[in-house]
Amino acid sequence: MSGLGDLITGLGTLATPEMLFHAAWATLLGIIVGSLPGLTATMGVALMTTLTYSLDSTTAILVLVCMYVGAIYGGSRSAILLNIPGTPASAATSLDGYPLAKQGRAGYAMGLATAGSALGTLAGVFMLVLVAPPLAEAALNFGSFEFFWLAVFGVLISGQLTADTTPLKGYIAGLLGLAVAMIGSEGIHAHVRFNLGVQDLNAGIALIPAMVGAFGFAEVLTAMWNRAGQLAMTKDKSDKTLPDLVDLWRYKFTIARSGLIGTMVGIIPGVGEDIGAWASYAAARKTSKEKEKFGHGSHEGLIAAETGNSAVVPGSLIPAITLAVPGSASSAVLIAALFIHGIRPGPLIMIEQPDFIGLISAMVVIATLFMAFYGLTLTRAFVQVLKVPYAYLMPVVFVLCVIGTYALSQRIFDIWIMVFFGLVGFLLRQMKYPMAPLVLGIILGDLLDKSLRRGLTLSDGELAPFFTRPVSAGFVALIVLSIALNLPAVRRVAMAPLRWFEARRGA
Amino acid sequence: MHMALADRLTAVALFLLGLALLSGGYTMDRLEIRQIHPASIPGLVPMILGVLLALCAALLFLSSFKSAARNDALVLVGGSWSRLGLTGAICTVYALGLVGWLPYFWATFLFASAFALLFSFPLDGARRAQLIAAASALALGLAIALGSSLLFRELFLVRLP
Repeated sequence: MSGLGDLITGLGTLATPEMLFHAAWATLLGIIVGSLPGLTATMGVALMTTLTYSLDSTTAILVLVCMYVGAIYGGSRSAILLNIPGTPASAATSLDGYPLAKQGRAGYAMGLATAGSALGTLAGVFMLVLVAPPLAEAALNFGSFEFFWLAVFGVLISGQLTADTTPLKGYIAGLLGLAVAMIGSEGIHAHVRFNLGVQDLNAGIALIPAMVGAFGFAEVLTAMWNRAGQLAMTKDKSDKTLPDLVDLWRYKFTIARSGLIGTMVGIIPGVGEDIGAWASYAAARKTSKEKEKFGHGSHEGLIAAETGNSAVVPGSLIPAITLAVPGSASSAVLIAALFIHGIRPGPLIMIEQPDFIGLISAMVVIATLFMAFYGLTLTRAFVQVLKVPYAYLMPVVFVLCVIGTYALSQRIFDIWIMVFFGLVGFLLRQMKYPMAPLVLGIILGDLLDKSLRRGLTLSDGELAPFFTRPVSAGFVALIVLSIALNLPAVRRVAMAPLRWFEARRGA
Repeated sequence: MHMALADRLTAVALFLLGLALLSGGYTMDRLEIRQIHPASIPGLVPMILGVLLALCAALLFLSSFKSAARNDALVLVGGSWSRLGLTGAICTVYALGLVGWLPYFWATFLFASAFALLFSFPLDGARRAQLIAAASALALGLAIALGSSLLFRELFLVRLP
């Protein structure tokens, strides 16, 4: 139980007035960012990274974690009041949240969302402190062969699970990300690749400008392209913000299951909060005794969606910290921020900074406490935030995109990269290409490239160790299975036992 | 435009990009002069990525001919082209033109004021409403330019462009 001990130590480290002050404003800002449609958690974390260069590492990471937790939760505000998810993570929340708001119970819906988010995050933190240390120790045995397959698996599964229409577009987005990572000096022989004669490309494409473009500028364009939503302003006299404990107790199994599903989804590389919410929502609906209420203001559906998406946050930190493989797009930015602040995520984290997992878990807990406090007390203020017109909001966002990107290395070239990724990102989104695999490709490209070539050098050009080592063989099996499940014939065979079981249960 | 047509056009572009990656990787310096292991040549992964991208592009092209709901869906509909065009133009001009050409404060003041004015000015509104919109846009521009300049220059010690 040393993980829980580290968590308590971490809480002690962060219990200073200065740290609590930073956590307070960063969580509030995160909720505001998340609640505004068009501003996502990833964009918030990316922009905030550019604002935390000058802070010490612990404070900077605390601010970023609070922004992440706050933004994922904040998305529920606009999902409930506008029927427009503030972040993609809250898409499932709007299914039951908005009908509740239209019935005049917006306050209660927000209270349930707050409780669900807080419980989901805490469930994820519990898993984080228990799973991350042994996983990091197990990863110490990983060699180039295993890291190669881990990178392939990450890009592949992210492409498969985040694609809106066909997995093919997810795979293509992942390949594009990997191709972007090939630009610049490679990590083994320091040979410069694909710089197209531009000196500024010799160091490659930095993640922060690319992310700020793909998630910041692209979202400014998307927000201005889309039409504004209608605020649900009906108010019932019986409405209140504090959820009934009886209501929460009634759905204890839904909360536990959604917390577990969210955390597991978070652990899968590059999948993200929206999938966590949808998977939890679907599982709750499947097992619910009140299926007919889903989509019409079901308390259970709302709790499941919010618990699921919030549990992804600590879940996504598990592979991010222990393997340097992000569990979501926001945690990809967090990895970049950790490197900027001198913390090296990966299997060596338990040797170089053994207290870090406890510390970051404590950061998530503190962010959750502030989130719950704001969520239950500042309902009216958040409604006012949603009324800020885009004409005044978007120039602020874009100016931060530009100056934040520039501040990283004080190069105008980074602003060009940001604009390029913004324009391309907007077009790709419109054509239903997911952004998460693209980002994961950029971040894992170097690992994949170096691991493959190092592995081949170690084995003197032999491919066998890539398939015969136990962990590698496991990854290969998972990869083959993931691709094969796209084929209808394979899916039919794989699902046959489940269908048989359901038929028996029905009979 | 239907998704099927958009996919076909994208597939052609991606196929060409895949071929470019393959060719770029194949013709890349193999560093024989440094006697590196032949399996660690820098062009290896770009070549593999090129083949995979070209393969995925071909599959995307073929799948666009299937009669599926996703292929019949419309792309780039349901939004406002004029708002998108204006936003894209004004943001690009600011980021790629004004920043670096004008001092940061003035570039940001011009951009933020113009953006707010463009999207909030009531063309058919009363004189008073128009004056309020113009004053608000100028105040916003000033606040953003001053606030971000001070924050980045004084607090984060960034030498502004």
